[in-house]
Amino acid sequence: MTAALAPTTEELAAVRRKAVADSIPLAIPALPFGFVLGFAIVESVMPNIAGFLSSPIIMAGAAQLAVITLAGSVSVWAIMATAMVINLRHVMYSAALSPAFKAQPRWFRLLAPIMLIDQVFALLAQRVDDHPDTFRHYYGASAAVFFTVWHIATILGLAFGSVIPESWQLGYAPAVMFTGLVVMGLDRRPAVVAAVVGAGVCFVSLGLPNRSGLLVGALAGVIAGLVADRANA
Amino acid sequence: MSLLTAMLLISVIGLATYGMRSIPILLLADRELPPIVAVALRNVAPAVLAALVVTLIASPDESNFGVSIPEIAGLVVGGAIAWKTRNLIFTLGTGMAVFWLLLWLA
Repeated sequence: MTAALAPTTEELAAVRRKAVADSIPLAIPALPFGFVLGFAIVESVMPNIAGFLSSPIIMAGAAQLAVITLAGSVSVWAIMATAMVINLRHVMYSAALSPAFKAQPRWFRLLAPIMLIDQVFALLAQRVDDHPDTFRHYYGASAAVFFTVWHIATILGLAFGSVIPESWQLGYAPAVMFTGLVVMGLDRRPAVVAAVVGAGVCFVSLGLPNRSGLLVGALAGVIAGLVADRANA
Repeated sequence: MSLLTAMLLISVIGLATYGMRSIPILLLADRELPPIVAVALRNVAPAVLAALVVTLIASPDESNFGVSIPEIAGLVVGGAIAWKTRNLIFTLGTGMAVFWLLLWLA
């Protein structure tokens, strides 16, 4: 891939614009989620400033919401364990993107993982084979969008609570977006097998504690995709 | 909960999260992965993201596992639009429109 010509400054600017354009529809559903989080911080026994700082420090919505809503009702150890299980999928994200970091400078290897959230992973998983400069600029622009939107949303939630009516059911929007991203990534038969098995096994293991059904389903999907790939070969 | 306890708790979870996100990149980026591992990693995105969709709409404690017809229809139409157009704005727009329409009709 490094054999390909390095992109020009103008091309990289176009890459960043494309990254922002791709990220905005994914960031829109994050707004109501941030509102919910901000509102939960106000309601929680956790000091507001600590709750708000969970956004830059943890930078993972589902884990933050779990930590903030569990604060005061269970032990800190149980809160830590829950957050770890919820975030364990990021290990798989990091491993899956690692080939794209082969040609990246050290500062980017250290900085990029801060923003390795679901949305950024979903967008960048389709760009692992891009030129390293293109990958880095796309990553940076996309990460900047999510970083900004997430903090604005948390602050608005803290300030105004739940101003979006419950009846709009905006909580459904992320499911649509991630479905779209799964579909766009289905470029090979093993990917289809991985998605179907991942969703199916996750569904039957929904009852497992701390949303660990997500991990069980994900692992089953990866293994099934591997088996499908061997069967094809 | 005291500010100190809260800040310690959040910092520990933040550090652990950064570790989970960074260690595979830092350890694997300079290695030539065995082909079987490289192939397996290609399946992480479809497997995890599809499972993530399930956890977003389904819950074990509700009737029908908390999944409704409008939710399924929105995902099917949104998914089809994503496949056809490869455009996320169209995907979100049509998926939500179908979802809201069926909610309103129900």
